[in-house]
Amino acid sequence: MTGTVLAAPRPVRAPARDEASGAWTAGYTVAISGDEPVFAGHYPDFPIFPGVCVMECVRRAAETAPPPGTGELRLAAVESTRFLAAVHPGDELTIDVTWSPRGEAWRCAAKVATDRGPAASVRLRYRQEATPC
Amino acid sequence: MLTAAGVRATLPHRYPMLLVDRVLDTGDDRIRALKAVTLNEPWYARLGPSPAEDDLAYPDFLLIESWTQTAGILATRLAGDAAEGQVMLFGSMSGIEFHRRVFPGDTVEHHARLERAVNDTMIFAGESTVGGEPLLTVGQITMAFRPGGTLAPPAS
Repeated sequence: MTGTVLAAPRPVRAPARDEASGAWTAGYTVAISGDEPVFAGHYPDFPIFPGVCVMECVRRAAETAPPPGTGELRLAAVESTRFLAAVHPGDELTIDVTWSPRGEAWRCAAKVATDRGPAASVRLRYRQEATPC
Repeated sequence: MLTAAGVRATLPHRYPMLLVDRVLDTGDDRIRALKAVTLNEPWYARLGPSPAEDDLAYPDFLLIESWTQTAGILATRLAGDAAEGQVMLFGSMSGIEFHRRVFPGDTVEHHARLERAVNDTMIFAGESTVGGEPLLTVGQITMAFRPGGTLAPPAS
């Protein structure tokens, strides 16, 4: 498959629905090994897991369990992202994902942490592709 | 104009994360640069013999990285000597809209402009196009220069 990160997300908390808001929450971990190809160039002799790759981990985790009953969802926007601390080889990311309905679209919000504390917060927006007749 | 050699001399990024090929022009507060997408990108290396068209879409978040590296070239130029020994950090972003996808053979043109500079933090905005069509809208991205030592991996 096409992607910038080799590591696959591992589910640690199954998707659960909040009846009041209609939001779905789930938990994942992603083990970032020193073998990730991006470390070779980001940066030589100074490996930092790129912020956009943290975002890619969120996206892959979230897309393993999109909200049930939606059509095909496609990434439309990064509403916001904050990087709070660097991620290094050997870190394990814990990713808490919340899918919330926003009219015809869905917001995917995630908190990312390592065992040293918060690493990033990410808010993505997905739109539903028209279902073929 | 900055050739590939100049880009490589300016940014600390290396293969496979050096995602700007050429700077077309820079002004006091703006920059325009190119990123060419090829089928030889490492992100496609693990595709099977009969990939779907969608599989060849260039990873969306790498477009953001490529745009940000473009802004980073301008940031480095603006910071001048103050950037020596410092690491450029990606702090936050908001309002990034994806309008279409790009594929091998496409050349992406990034436009970035400095919106504000506060102390050692710079805020950039802009857009990217492909074949003159909108590709990416960048509402706001913040970058800061920090001493390299502050990012060192934890002692284990």
